Amino acid sequence: VPIASVVLTLVHDREPLRDRVLAELTRDPRIELGPASGACLPAVLDTASAAEGEALVQSLVEKEGVVFVDVVAVDFSDQAEET
Amino acid sequence: MERRELLKHLAMGTAVAAATRLSLGRGGPEALAAPAPPKAAAGDGVRWDKAPCRFCGTGCHVQVGVREGRVVAVRGDEKAEVNRGLLCVKGYHVGLALYGADRLRRPLLRKGGKLEPISWQEAIDIVARRALKDPAGFALYGSGQWTIPEGYAATKLVKAGLGHHQIEANARLCMSSAVTGFMATYGVDEPAGCYDDLDRCDVLITWGNNPAEMHPVLFSRVIDRRTRGEKVTLIDLSTRETRTSRFADRSIRFRPQTDLAIANGIANLLVLHGAHDADFVAKHCGFRAPDANGTLQGRAISFDDYKAMIAEYTPERVEQISGVPAKDIRWLAELFGRRELRITSLWCMGFNQHTRGTAINALVHGIHLLSGHFGRPGDAPTSLTGQPSACGTVREVGTLCNLLPGGHSVASAEDRKRAEEIWNVPPGRVSDKAGYHTLEMWKRFSTPAGQGGDIHTLWVQTTNPAQSLPNLHALVEPSRRLADKFLIVSDVYPTATTRIADLVLPAALWVEKNGMFGNSERRTQQWFKMVDPPGEARSDLWQLIAVAHRLLELGHQGMRDKDGRFLFSAQKDGKEVPIWDYGHFDDVNVDEMLFDEYRKFSTHHRKDLAPYGEYVKARGLRWPVVRRADGTWHETRFRFAEHEDPYVQQGKAIQFYQSYTNDDRAQIWFQPYGPPPEAPDADYPLWLCTGRVLEHWHTGTMTMRIPQLQRAMPQAYVELHRDDARRLGVQDGEVVVVETRRGRIELPAWIEGRGSPPPGTLFVPFFDERLPINELTLEASDPFSKQPDYKKCAARIRKRGGQ
Repeated sequence: VPIASVVLTLVHDREPLRDRVLAELTRDPRIELGPASGACLPAVLDTASAAEGEALVQSLVEKEGVVFVDVVAVDFSDQAEET
Repeated sequence: MERRELLKHLAMGTAVAAATRLSLGRGGPEALAAPAPPKAAAGDGVRWDKAPCRFCGTGCHVQVGVREGRVVAVRGDEKAEVNRGLLCVKGYHVGLALYGADRLRRPLLRKGGKLEPISWQEAIDIVARRALKDPAGFALYGSGQWTIPEGYAATKLVKAGLGHHQIEANARLCMSSAVTGFMATYGVDEPAGCYDDLDRCDVLITWGNNPAEMHPVLFSRVIDRRTRGEKVTLIDLSTRETRTSRFADRSIRFRPQTDLAIANGIANLLVLHGAHDADFVAKHCGFRAPDANGTLQGRAISFDDYKAMIAEYTPERVEQISGVPAKDIRWLAELFGRRELRITSLWCMGFNQHTRGTAINALVHGIHLLSGHFGRPGDAPTSLTGQPSACGTVREVGTLCNLLPGGHSVASAEDRKRAEEIWNVPPGRVSDKAGYHTLEMWKRFSTPAGQGGDIHTLWVQTTNPAQSLPNLHALVEPSRRLADKFLIVSDVYPTATTRIADLVLPAALWVEKNGMFGNSERRTQQWFKMVDPPGEARSDLWQLIAVAHRLLELGHQGMRDKDGRFLFSAQKDGKEVPIWDYGHFDDVNVDEMLFDEYRKFSTHHRKDLAPYGEYVKARGLRWPVVRRADGTWHETRFRFAEHEDPYVQQGKAIQFYQSYTNDDRAQIWFQPYGPPPEAPDADYPLWLCTGRVLEHWHTGTMTMRIPQLQRAMPQAYVELHRDDARRLGVQDGEVVVVETRRGRIELPAWIEGRGSPPPGTLFVPFFDERLPINELTLEASDPFSKQPDYKKCAARIRKRGGQ
C-alpha cells in the first residue's frame, strides 16, 4: 500500500497557472487534495506500487506551477514485510 | 472503515498539519501552535516513537511506526524544530534501510580465503587477543555514525584502557578543517549560530555548498520563506552549477582553490572603504597571520599589518586568480558592508575537503567578524556536517587521535589529569602522545611492520573506508597483501570494506539499538531501541564492551580502574550487571550510564550537557544546556551573545569567552592564496571534483539497498560540460575512461545533467561501490586538520578503446 502524505507548494503569484495546476491535480484519481493553507496544498498519493508512487512524485516535482514537493510521511508496511 | 481508507485518512491529517505549519513558517511560535496530525487509531497496531534520521547531519526527527516487531512507516516529526514534520527523499525511506535482503547476520572469519561463520564468543576472543598481543598497534576507526555512547565507549576503551590514542573517525575526512577553523578563530569548536539563522537572514551565501541536494530540509526552510513572500537573497559561490545554483539570485563560478583569494578580496574592500565594523572589531577581535612554525594559532598582528597583507587582493587581482569578475567581488563586499542586512554563510565539504581547509574556514569567519555580521539572529558563519553525529560523537566525544571528551586535548596535562579523574584510572594512564591521524593510520596499516608499519590491527565500525578513503590503491590495498595485518569490520551490510576484511561482525542499525546523535547545530538527540536486529547482529556498543571485558579476563590491567573495577562496570540495585553478556545487555540502559559519565567532561570547556533524562523528553537540546535557578534545563541557540548564552557576562553583549588569547577576542586571520598541490597540466588537463547526490548517502551501503532510491539514481556517472564532450566526441550516456595519476575507472558520461560543471571540469559521485572514484582521488591534506582534498585533482577523460 504505497500511501504517501505530501505538501505541494504552488506558485503564489500567477493565479491562472495555479488554477490550471489545481485542475490537473484534481483530475488525477490517485491524488486526494486537502484544504490549502496559503501556497501549501496537502495531498495524499495512493498508488498501486512503489514504482508508480515514485513516478507520481517525480511528475509533481516537474509540473509547472509546483514550486516544491515535501513528502511528509510514507507507509511502506507491505514492502517491509516482503523483504 | 477499511484499513486502506484508515491509512489515507491518517495520511491526509498528517499532510494538512504539515501544510499548516509550512504556510505559517517553520521558525515562529505560530508554527508550534499549528494542529497536530491525527494519532493512529486504536487497533491498527502501529506504535510510534521518535528518533533522529539515520542519514545526514541536519538532524531531522522522524516518527517511526512499528508493528509486530518491524518498522512499517515513517513520518516527519511535527514536534521537531529542525524539520517541523518534513523530510527529504532519503529521510522518508529511512525505515527501509533496515530491511535490505543481505543484512549481515552472523560473525564471519576469513578461513582459506573465504568468510566462514563463527560464534560471537570466538569472534570477541579473536579481537581481544589481537589487542592483547601488542596493544600499541591495535587501532579503532569509526565515524560520525557512531552514536554518542558508542563513540564514548570506543574512546574510553582505547584512551583509558589500552593507554594510547590510536583511534580515529571518518569525520577526519569530512569536517576536521571546520574544527581547526573554529579553533583558530574562537578557540573552541562548533558553530556559534544555529538553524534559526536560516529563518532570520536577509542574505544566504552558500560557499562551495549544495544544500538543495545535501541538506534539502534546511534548504527548503529558506525557499519556503521566499514562497511566503519574504525577501531572502540567495547567493551561490561554487565551482560547478548545482541544484542550489538554480534557486540562487546570483550564482558565481570560481576556479578550484581560489576561494581564499575571493575571501581576501572581500576583506580588502571592506577595510579599504572603511566599510568594516570598526567598533565590533575594536571590542571583540584580534588579528593573526601564519607563523614560521606553522602553528594553528599563528602569530598576532596589528590591524595595520592585516590591512597591508590583504591590500594585494584587489578586485582585479582576485578576478585574475579566481575568474570571478571584479564587479562581483565589489558587490559581495558591499553586501557585507551593509550592517542593516543579516547575512548567514553556509559551507560544508567544499571548504573542508581542501588542502587549505583551515585557512578558508578561518577567512570566512573573519569576514563575518570584520563586518560585524555576527551574534544577531540571522548573522552567522555556519559550517554544516555530513553525518548524523559528526559533531555529537566525533567532535564532542573526541573520537580522534588528538582529543579527549568534551573538548579536552591530549596535549594538555590538565585535560589529561581531568580525564584520569573522571575515568578513575591511575595518573599517567592517559598518554601524552597523540595517535596517528586517519591517513597516517591507514598508511601504517598498509606498510610492513619492519618498515614502520606499526599498526597491525584495525577495527572498523560504522564506516566503509575501502570506498571512502582517498587514493585507495595506496592507502588500503597494500595491507591486504601483508600477512601480519588484520582487518576487523563491524557493519550491517556487505561493503567494500567487509569484502576485504579478515573478521566481519554483524551490527545493529539505528532503531535496533538505543542511541544518541549530535547534529550540525550542537543539538544532542536521543532515541530508544524499537525493534530487534536481525539474526545474531548486535550493537557496536555491546561489541566494544564485550571486547573490553574479554581483555580483562585475559589479564589486561588497563581494563580495570584504579579501584580494580571493570572500566564499563554497570550496577543495578547495588549489584554488578554483566552487560558484556549479550543476554544481560538490556538489563540496564547502558546509553544512560555512559552518557551521564561522559557529561562530566562537558562543563569545563562550557559545552554543558543535561542529564540523559532531559533528552528523552526533548527533540534534542543545543549545548551549552545549563540548569537555571528554578531547576529547569535550558539550551543555547546563539553562543557568545549575551541575549542567549548564559556564559556571557552581563553587559558584554558579545564575549568570546574561550579565546586562546585569554582576552575574550576572536581572531581575524590573514591567509594568503596558494595554488593546489595538483592542478591540470598537459597530461591531465581537467579538474576532477567528487561528492554526493540527493538520493544516496555517502558510500551508498544503506541507500543503494532502498529500491526507491536505487531506482532513482542507480549508478555513478561522470558529469562533463557539453564543450568538452563535443571536443572528445563523447555522447550522453556513453561509457568513457576517467584517469588520474592514481588510477582509472569507466563511467557513463552525463552531459549537463543534474549538475553542470564548467568547461575543463568533471564531477563524479562516490556512492557507487562498483565504480569507486576514490581509487583516483588525491590524499594531499590540510596541514592542520589533516583532512584530504576530494574536490580537486588533475584528470583526463577519453573514449573507451581510445588513447
